[in-house]
This record gives sequence, structure tokens and C-alpha cells, in this order.
Amino acid sequence: MDELLAVFVQESREQLQALEAGLIALDRGEHDPDTLNGVFRAAHTIKGGAGVVECDFIVEFTHVVENTLDALRNGSRELSPPLIAALLQCSDHLSDLLDLLEQSATPDAECLARGQQRLANLGNPTTPTPTPTAAATPPVAANSDRHWHISVRFGLDTLRHGMDPVSFLHYLEEMGEIVGLATIYDQLPALAEYDPEGCYLGFEIDYASTADKASIERVFDFVRDDCLLHIIPPDSKVDDFIHLIEQLPETPPRIGEILVQVGALTEKELQQALHTQSQLPHDDDHPAPKVGEILVEHHHVPPQLVEAAAGKQGKLQAGQNHTLRIQADKLDKLIDLVGELVIAGASARLLAREIGQTRLSRVTQIMSRLVEEIRDSALELRMVQIGETFNRFHRVVRDLSHELNKEVELNISGAETELDKSVVEKISDPLMHLVRNAIDHGIESPEQRLAAGKPARGKIGFNAYHDSGSIVIEVRDDGAGVNRQKVLKRAIERGLVSANQSLSDTEILNLLLEPGFSTADKVSNVSGRGVGMDVVKRNIQSLRGRIDMESVEGQGSRFMIRLPLTLAIIDGFHVAIAASTYILPLDSVVRCLEFKDAASDRDYLDFGGEALPFVRLRDLFRIDAPMPPRQNVIVVQYAGQKAGLVVDQLLGESQTVIKPLSSMFQHMRGIGGATILGSGEVALILDVQALVQLAATRETDSLSVQREPAVNQPA
Amino acid sequence: MKTIFIVDDSPTILLSVSAILTKAGYTVEKASNGQDALTRFRGGIKADLLITDLNMPGMNGLELIKEVRQLPNYRFMPILFLTTESQQARRAEARAAGASGWLVKPASADDLLNTIKLVLR
Repeated sequence: MDELLAVFVQESREQLQALEAGLIALDRGEHDPDTLNGVFRAAHTIKGGAGVVECDFIVEFTHVVENTLDALRNGSRELSPPLIAALLQCSDHLSDLLDLLEQSATPDAECLARGQQRLANLGNPTTPTPTPTAAATPPVAANSDRHWHISVRFGLDTLRHGMDPVSFLHYLEEMGEIVGLATIYDQLPALAEYDPEGCYLGFEIDYASTADKASIERVFDFVRDDCLLHIIPPDSKVDDFIHLIEQLPETPPRIGEILVQVGALTEKELQQALHTQSQLPHDDDHPAPKVGEILVEHHHVPPQLVEAAAGKQGKLQAGQNHTLRIQADKLDKLIDLVGELVIAGASARLLAREIGQTRLSRVTQIMSRLVEEIRDSALELRMVQIGETFNRFHRVVRDLSHELNKEVELNISGAETELDKSVVEKISDPLMHLVRNAIDHGIESPEQRLAAGKPARGKIGFNAYHDSGSIVIEVRDDGAGVNRQKVLKRAIERGLVSANQSLSDTEILNLLLEPGFSTADKVSNVSGRGVGMDVVKRNIQSLRGRIDMESVEGQGSRFMIRLPLTLAIIDGFHVAIAASTYILPLDSVVRCLEFKDAASDRDYLDFGGEALPFVRLRDLFRIDAPMPPRQNVIVVQYAGQKAGLVVDQLLGESQTVIKPLSSMFQHMRGIGGATILGSGEVALILDVQALVQLAATRETDSLSVQREPAVNQPA
Repeated sequence: MKTIFIVDDSPTILLSVSAILTKAGYTVEKASNGQDALTRFRGGIKADLLITDLNMPGMNGLELIKEVRQLPNYRFMPILFLTTESQQARRAEARAAGASGWLVKPASADDLLNTIKLVLR
């Protein structure tokens, strides 16, 4: 797909979101003209863009939607809930059409029929499609010895409108040949009244061209409203020129001379014309008063227009967001480079200290600090507000609550909270599950709510805020809350816990997030297929986040998702095996121990009474260097599962910029990325998830020591 | 080398128009909203022609035209606005604000370049 198409599709998706958000706001009864205008503008922009990328099926579809919105905007139609529903369906259809465009496909018959049906639901008054009327003027033969005559007097404001009279002549020359030209400056006033920025010029042009009248007129389109323009076709009768002479502001003898001069008329024809004119019954003292009137009129802007414009200016919002759109990969490149700059700065500082030059040290210190600031600012560039993601859920909540016959409203706070773009993209699905779950299982039906003494309309709330280097996203509902007994019973039925196990309140709630758990009595379309909540948990863990739940029976539930602000930087724990450094995400580290039974062949050790499977990284990565006298075990945890990683040395923690591995290394197990150390060396970042799983499978594979395909030792 | 400044909130339009103009040998400056464009005009950016969309969130094209026209450097600069067939009424408003002319979108590359040729000195 070419770049323009990609830009169009992305833009249109954003516009569709705006359109949908606007419609939802209107549905909630926020009938302000700005909202309606915004909705209209979104449709209008999509149509415009579709025209540019020449996607006719989107242009045609959007055109009808736009007409409906325009009718709403100018008040000729009334907004009604069925109409909003129909418009939302059209928005869905547009989204489908965008998908098709993205796949370079065209809608099939079924899709077209569905589109037509959705458009029909809008109930637009049927208007016959206007058939373009072709310009009927026959082309004029180029060899005609008679020419077009163009007579133009520019308006006083022409220059102030940014137009140059000469440019019209240049343009005419492209369509034909200017045979004769006279510049008219008779309108030039006395010096005292002369406006140095005004335009007092006019032209009489004898013009040879095969273009039709409409094309010639079009040249003067931009000045036509405030200039005098007469175009007389070739082979016109002298009468037409007489008419022209009457219309022009200059005196008839003067204009006559000019016409002869440019070759429009012969001397004889002029004589005849002037003679005829003198016989016409009109007041000779005022040859063309009309023109003057017209000119004056045209020089004045209608006062109401000025007022309207001034009024609008007052409404200009002060705190507009100035945004700049750039491609994500450009930003990634920058962040990558900044990461390397940090590393280079650190090694310069190291070197300066080694040399013992205090002045150099001081300079590199300042530089390092600046570089770190640059890094922070660069990372901030990737931050986007979560509001946009939140806002998409108005539609979800509306649709789901209709479907389930519940009344639910969505409240959003903390929409301006920022987090890394890549995290935002991945948080949508988990939020979707939580919202579906809240509406389906959490919020009761209006009757049940009223019976419980709650308002019929349930509430779902989104909140986001920053908390010590993480972002916390809360999803809460004021529904029925979790019935612990029911959860426990179900968990026992499903074999997740045994009947005689005693569980803490938190442990019971956590059961909800286990795979294969569902407490809804009735499996609905919306949720309750036993998948969902465990998927949520896994998705969030893959973002290096965690999810907690609180619930009060009868009052509602609250999920708290805690995520790192960025995926590009982690708090890393550095370890060494022989000469190589490896890095683990610090938050996966549970404890560090000395590795005591180094000689043992067993692949698990005793960790506070638990059998802890472990992996010797030295073996896994086939490092043949001599074994140090002491080895260490790092106990790591992933998704509740623990494992030990045996390494030589523990080096401590530091912030680490993650660099993805090239696709060549994608198949390597146990390695998640790389980074560059202050010393300039490459260090590999361990993939804790894979290592924990590896340790667990090895444990179950009895004790057979099957070495995994290993990784070469990094240089 | 003539510099053309184009303002449109639609990235699709910005990209397509600037591609046509760049190919035709013009230098192109871009802004995605009126306020940004105005800031750069106030900063005295070199521009021989301004092309702006009218319907934009925030500062719209009309306001931009009016403001730019008042800046001494750009009193006589040609200004074109992007419009559609259905927006005839807005042309008068835009002209009153100081625009030189308009471009009907979606414009073919030929239409676009021809119109620019007409207004550029």
C-alpha cells in the first residue's frame, strides 16, 4: 500500500473515532452546534481524502452521510435516536470500507447491499443525482481571423487580494495568443486621492485562442466578483461592441480608440458604432453610472460579514493543542540514537575520570546530564494521552448496555494522563475485556438495581494516574460485586482449588483471573466464555504490568492495572557469566542466593521448602570459560511461577535502554533484546518468561539433561 | 525557487498536495492547523503563496487568511483556499477575508498547478 493511502486510512480511522465520539455525545443529549460541526467535519474530511486517493466507494458512501449531517447542521432535519443509531451504523460501515481499501480490495455485492441498506436507514430525501452538463460551446477554429475580445477593469483591491494583473496575461498566453493589448489607466485618480496599494488598471485584449468562453472566463474566476469583465466571442456583431462601449467607464471616443488600437474593430466599424450609440436614448452626461455604483459596491465588504468574522475570532480557544504528526519509526530511531548517546556520554565520562583530568571530567559530567535530559525528553515524545483510548469505550458501553437491556454510563477521569504509545496500543484489548465483563457480570439489570436501592442507571468509571514511575489505570463499576461463595464454589467445581483449601479474600478474587473461570449463570454473547479475564492478566503481564482487583459485594468492583510508563527503558539487574554481561528486568527478580550445590546434576534446588527449578545459563549459552569458585542463583518470577537462574556474578542494577534484536536472532530462546553498556559492550537482555518456562518444562522432563539449542556467546 | 505554504488538518491532503508541488519543483512548507501556520508567518517565513483549507478545528482558514493578510510582509502574497463544489457560499467570505482565489478539491495535479501558475508571479 502506498504512503498516501496509508496516511489516508490512518487519518480516516481517527476521523471516524471523532465522528463516533461526536455521535455518542449527541446521543447523550449534548446538542451543541460545535459537536455537530465536528461530526460533519469528520465526514467531510474523510470524503475529501477519499477523493484524493480516488477511492470512489468511500466517496460515494460518505457523500450521503455528509448530506445527512449537513441537513442536521443547517436544521432542515431533526436529530433523533434512530437517526443516531443509523449514523453509527454508517460509521461502522465506513470502518469496514477502510479495511477493504487497506487490503486493496473493493466491496463485494453483499457489502454494497449492506451499505445501501445503511444509507437507506438515514432516510435522506431522495434527490436525483446531478448529471454533469458538458460545456456546450463549440470550440472556435484556431485559424479564425477574427479574435476574442476581452475587456477587463480590475477592482481596487486586486493587489490587496494578492493578485497581480499581469499574471492573467501570462495565463492567457498559455491558452492562446494575445494579438493586441492596451493597458487602461484612465481610472487613476488625482494624487491626493491616490491609494498606492489600489489597482486602477484595466486591459483591452485582442485574443486568439481555441478555448471556449467558459475557459477564458475561468481565468478571471478569482477577480470576477470585483472586476468588470466582458468577453466578446470572435465574429461578433458590431452591436456587441457598442454594448461594450456603453458598459465601460471610460468615455465612448476613448474606448473606441482603444478598440481600434487593439484590432478589435476597424476605424469604419467604430464610426458606425459611435454613430449608432449617439442615437440611443440615454443621458450622455452620465455615460456609465451603473459601473461606478457596481465598483463602489464591490469595494465594500458587507458589514455583517465583518461582524461575523470578528465574533468568531473571539471564540478562538486559548489553550489549543499544537500537534505535530510524525512517523513512529522516525521517533524510534531518535530514541535509539539518544540511547547510544547516553552510552557514549557515559564512556566519555569514564575515560575522563581514568585520565584524571578534573576539568575534562567536569565538562563530561555536564554533558552527561544534558544527554540524560535529552533522553527523558525524547522518551516523552512517545507519550500519548490515554483519553483517546478511553473515549472509544463510550460506543462500546452504549452498544453493550443496549444489547443487554441495562442502563450504563461511562465516566472518564485522568484522560490527560500520558503513557508510552506502544503501551496504549496494547491496553485496548484488556480494557475491552474488563468493560464487557463489568457490563455483563457487574452491573445488574435496572429492576435488580432499583430493588437493591441503587439508581437504575449503573456506572462504569475509567481513571488513570501516574504513581511512582508507573501508570495506574482503574476500571470500576457500581454493580453487584463479587460473591465470594459463588466464586469459591465454581473454583472447586472446576478443580482450580480443592474443597478443603482455605483461601484468603485476595486469593479468592484472584481466582477470577485464572484460566477457565466463569461465574455468569447465563453465558451471553458478551462475555462468560471462560476466556477473558485470564487473557487480561496475561496481556498485562506481557506489558510488564500487573492487575489487582478489589470488590465489595453489592457495591461494585475495581480493577487496578499498573503498567510501566515506557517499554523502551527498564530497570535492569546486571549479572555476569565469565566476561559477558546479561540483564534481567529488576521487577522479575525475587531474591538472589549463593549457588551452593554447584556439583549437583539435579535441575532444581530447595528454596524455602519449595522445589525451585533452575537453569544454568552458563550451559544454556554454552560459555566454556572456567567456572568461578562461587556462583549465584537469581530467583525470578513470571506469572506466579518461580525459577532460578545460575550466573557467575551479580553486578547490580541500572536503567537500561532496550534495543530489539534484529530478525536474524528472533528464534533465539531466552534472549529478549540487547543493550549497550557504558563500556561500549553489548549486553543481552534475558527473556525471563521463556527462561521460567524452560526451567519448568525441564523439571517435568524428569532429569534427562537435554541441552537446548544454545546461543553463541556474545562478543 | 518559489515556496508554497500549505495548511490543512487532513494529512491525506497535505501529503498529496505537497507531493504534487514538490514534484513540480516548488519548495513546500506545511502546517496542520491555522495557529501553527500563523506563528510561522509571524516569524517571517519565506512564502510566495499560501494554500489553506477553510474548515479546520481551532483557528479556521478564514481567520488565518485574515491574520496573515494583515502582516506587512504578506499583504500582497497570493492566498488560495481549498474548497469543495458544495461550498460556494464560503468563497465570498474567504474573498472578503483577503484570499486571492480557491482550489476545488479534490483537484487534479493539472488543475492545482495551473491555478498556482495563475496566482504566482
